Amino acid sequence: MIPHTPLEIYLSLFKTTTRERWDWITPGAIAGLGVIGVCFIYSAQYAVPQGSLLAEFWFKQVLFLGLGACLYVSVSLVDYRRWLGIAQFFYVGCLIPLVVVFLPGVSGGSAERWGASRWISLGPLGTFQPSESAKIGVLLITASVLVHSRVGSIRQSLGVLGKLALAVGIPLFLILLQPDLKSAIVLPPMVFAMLYVSKLSTRFFAGALAAFLLVVGLVAWDLTRYVNYMEDNGLKISKENQGKYEPHSFLPYVHDYQRNRVLTFLNPEKYDKTGIGWNQEQSLISVGSGGFAGKGWTQGSQAQLGYLPRAVAHNDFIFSVIAEEKGFLGSLTVLSLFGLVLFNGIRIAGLARDRLGSLLAIGVTVLFAVHVFVNIAMTIGLVPITGIPLPFISYGGSFVLSCCLLQGLVQSVYRFRKDFS
Amino acid sequence: MSKGFASNSRIGLLAFGVLLSFGVLGVRLVDLHVFAGPSRLRAASRARSLSFPLPAQRGVITDTLGNKLAMNVPEYQFGVDPQSLRSADEGKWPELAQLLQVPLAEIEETFRRRVRGPARTATGPADESLTIRLNPAGSAAAAAAEPVEEEKLPALAGLPPVEPAAPAAAEPAEIKWAKLGDPVQDFVRDQVMALGIKGVYANETYRRVYPQKQLAAHLIGYVNKGSVPVAGLEAAYDYYLRGLNGWQEGERDGRSREMAQFRSRVVAPRNGYSLRLSLDSVIQQFVEDELQSIATQYQPASATIIVSDARTGFLLALGNYPTFNLNEYNLVPLSEQASMKNIAVTNQLDPGSTFKIVTLSGVINEGLVTSESRFDTSRHTVLIDGKEVPFMEDDHHADGPMSVAQIIAQSSNNGTAQLGLLLKKEGLYAYARAFGFGERTNLGFGGEITGRLNRPETWRGRDFTRIPAGYSVSVTPMQIHFAMGTIASGGLLLQPQVVQEILDPAGKPVFVASTASKRRVLSQSTARTMAQLLMGVASPEGPAKAAAIDGFQVAGKTGTAQKIINKVYSTQNHIGSFSGFFPATDPRVVVTVIVDDAKLPGGKVNYGAAVAVPSFRHVANKLISYLNIRPPGGAPPIGQRLAAVQGGGR
Repeated sequence: MIPHTPLEIYLSLFKTTTRERWDWITPGAIAGLGVIGVCFIYSAQYAVPQGSLLAEFWFKQVLFLGLGACLYVSVSLVDYRRWLGIAQFFYVGCLIPLVVVFLPGVSGGSAERWGASRWISLGPLGTFQPSESAKIGVLLITASVLVHSRVGSIRQSLGVLGKLALAVGIPLFLILLQPDLKSAIVLPPMVFAMLYVSKLSTRFFAGALAAFLLVVGLVAWDLTRYVNYMEDNGLKISKENQGKYEPHSFLPYVHDYQRNRVLTFLNPEKYDKTGIGWNQEQSLISVGSGGFAGKGWTQGSQAQLGYLPRAVAHNDFIFSVIAEEKGFLGSLTVLSLFGLVLFNGIRIAGLARDRLGSLLAIGVTVLFAVHVFVNIAMTIGLVPITGIPLPFISYGGSFVLSCCLLQGLVQSVYRFRKDFS
Repeated sequence: MSKGFASNSRIGLLAFGVLLSFGVLGVRLVDLHVFAGPSRLRAASRARSLSFPLPAQRGVITDTLGNKLAMNVPEYQFGVDPQSLRSADEGKWPELAQLLQVPLAEIEETFRRRVRGPARTATGPADESLTIRLNPAGSAAAAAAEPVEEEKLPALAGLPPVEPAAPAAAEPAEIKWAKLGDPVQDFVRDQVMALGIKGVYANETYRRVYPQKQLAAHLIGYVNKGSVPVAGLEAAYDYYLRGLNGWQEGERDGRSREMAQFRSRVVAPRNGYSLRLSLDSVIQQFVEDELQSIATQYQPASATIIVSDARTGFLLALGNYPTFNLNEYNLVPLSEQASMKNIAVTNQLDPGSTFKIVTLSGVINEGLVTSESRFDTSRHTVLIDGKEVPFMEDDHHADGPMSVAQIIAQSSNNGTAQLGLLLKKEGLYAYARAFGFGERTNLGFGGEITGRLNRPETWRGRDFTRIPAGYSVSVTPMQIHFAMGTIASGGLLLQPQVVQEILDPAGKPVFVASTASKRRVLSQSTARTMAQLLMGVASPEGPAKAAAIDGFQVAGKTGTAQKIINKVYSTQNHIGSFSGFFPATDPRVVVTVIVDDAKLPGGKVNYGAAVAVPSFRHVANKLISYLNIRPPGGAPPIGQRLAAVQGGGR
């Protein structure tokens, strides 16, 4: 029996069988990651005291995590199947902030300063990043669409794919418009993974791969043009000259700073280490200089002295701080905890009672896998800098909350994998 | 998993994909942490290690009363970090220019030049970029429009400060600091800071200043703009004054700022030691006032007055004309660079009659004569080594044989030469050396010379009749002064000293100079006799009258030497001098006045008495009241006069 009213839910907590229904692996790992996160946010900002406790990043993160824990438990308690009924509304609700963010005066001053509209100012509560809610919306709508349709060969699935393309395309477009490439790139892998476990024809994925390669080809061609253009005009590829090529490019919405990042990644020796490649270079030095056991908590010179720029050390580059101060052991610990979360997620997907549960667990897990992989890979120089945060560790309110909500969904899938009554 | 609605194989494949990506991360982490670690660690510590000097403050120089003669004032060198300028502050630039006294155009150029590197010569778009860069409003707008992600912002901030690029350097580098104008004083700094222009700030430095300007310029010397001590005590005692620069080994942060909390080692600077001189600013001022009045009245080529403590050899004042303002050492024109020489130790002059004290002291000390021994000064020649050698002419011819007292009182060249003959060449030479001629007084600075005193073997012809009277030898004013000081001190050649104490930065003396004598030259009784001879012979009709000080016995000796102009002794150009001490029986101070080539009204010859003696009296009178010198034996003997002896030299 599914508890429906809040009272039923509350009462269900005290049933012996209910207690045994909890999965403790993921929340345990999450708690570990959260503690590590707070510790190293503290360390990353150790050199720059904010004045009051409330203003300290680590303390705010503690509050966010507390709030996130409540959210996690709340979402876990609710049968995930209940989301199916409201998926469309939730989806639309998630899109609203993506539109609102473009209204004048909504983005905080800081957001406007960087030339991107990514935050909605909530006044004293800080800022809210609408791309976070969009992830949840897209997850739910994709699961909802896939559950309600038959998926198989491409021909059979065309309608579903069309719906999905629209459902995913709209938020993706809005996010790209902000522009926020990093938040956009996590969505396609999630959707593709959900399609994949829905037994969509492999030929579709072959096609998608081809399309992907085409895009890569296009980008490579564009980069070649970019480099040639800069050289022909005697312009150095540097931060100073960003934006000079953009009017001549055939690819819209791709900015020179993004081109520079890719170039820096591909050839860091040539493209100005101290300029464009500074963050990555410093991150590599951080990780490498950490050695096996690290330099000790709050002792990492790269992080403490701001070589790892302070603006990013506590969020996107938090892994570098951990790797520097706790060395290989620290990195391995973090990686293992994430491994627990992810493989447990996949296990839960297999245990799920229905396709919805399976899809949700897979979607969430792949989303997390992308975050973890891209973030860590970027700090250790395997992929270009993208600014994707590390779940539960990186500082960030809306990110922590969305992560907790998503993992709460997985817990719910586990808890309601069968009727325990 | 049997109940799974999703394909188990596909989930398995996904799981494998995740595992693979984790494997990739793991391998890379092992690579970085374990294998690349050491080299990355070196890179990290290299990038942040920082060492810079902490300049020590130079010690001050004070006179004996503690008046500062050389000190440091803080001043502020403004500079700008063109990277952090805000266009909102542009309206304040003219005011800044005015405060710093820099042309506005220069300020603007400095502010707008944000990178250093090769000048762009390309045409087309490169020119556009140049225009954009030089237009701050435009570049600010461009910067605002630049789609920089938040995590990229500090990316360029970690650039180490770059020194001005060599012409060969191809890479343009951001300018982090550019100097603005000359250093300013604190009130100007406050005004500039009040403008609140972001990116404009000042570094504190110290400037050496000499509050008394020209006072004792030749003793103190100066430190040049490059903080290099160039002359005088500043150079000679630099070891003590300069202190020890400290340094700081720190770590700099990603913005190249020094991080105080990560200072690994701070070696604090040790401020320099201070010098307390024996010099007395008041006496020095007397001396320089007197030199100035000599200069005004007689337009001499140069003049020197030295005052020292008769008992200790410490200098109380030493002044030269011409002189210069220490604060403006760099404004002295090339043609007047001679004014920067301490001529008291660098000028070489024929001492003339003042040298006669050597001859006289010698014969008395050797017991060859008494003050009553008489000599026939009417002879014109003497037989030396089988040759007839002429004596020098005297101005005043005595009626009969002259007593030793008369010889010195009337400064008879003939008589002195005969005294010298008694000492023989070697004896005379030995006494001259004993009195300090032919060797440095070892004042220790100022480029002191030895003068010229030839060895007796090389004396030829007239030398033996001339040297006793102070010709054919070259001496410095300082040598004359301390030769006279030997008689005043009771027969000891004192070591001239000007530094009384060296004090550590806390004000604790680390060195206290004590009286030092180089050697005993004369017995005390000879010195007493000499003092008697130098004061006791009254010469009411001589120009020494001018040196008379009521109530005081003054011992002294005038001198007039012809200058050698074009290798012959000139009858027009003379050096007049007077060196004496008082009270004669219990000497307190020794004063020497030397005036080179004074222009007397009516073209009169500059006898020592004419110029140097009155100056001596002026200085002595001030010394008596300032130092509260009382004649020995109670009440001043009314009417007793100076017995400073007028000497004609010839």
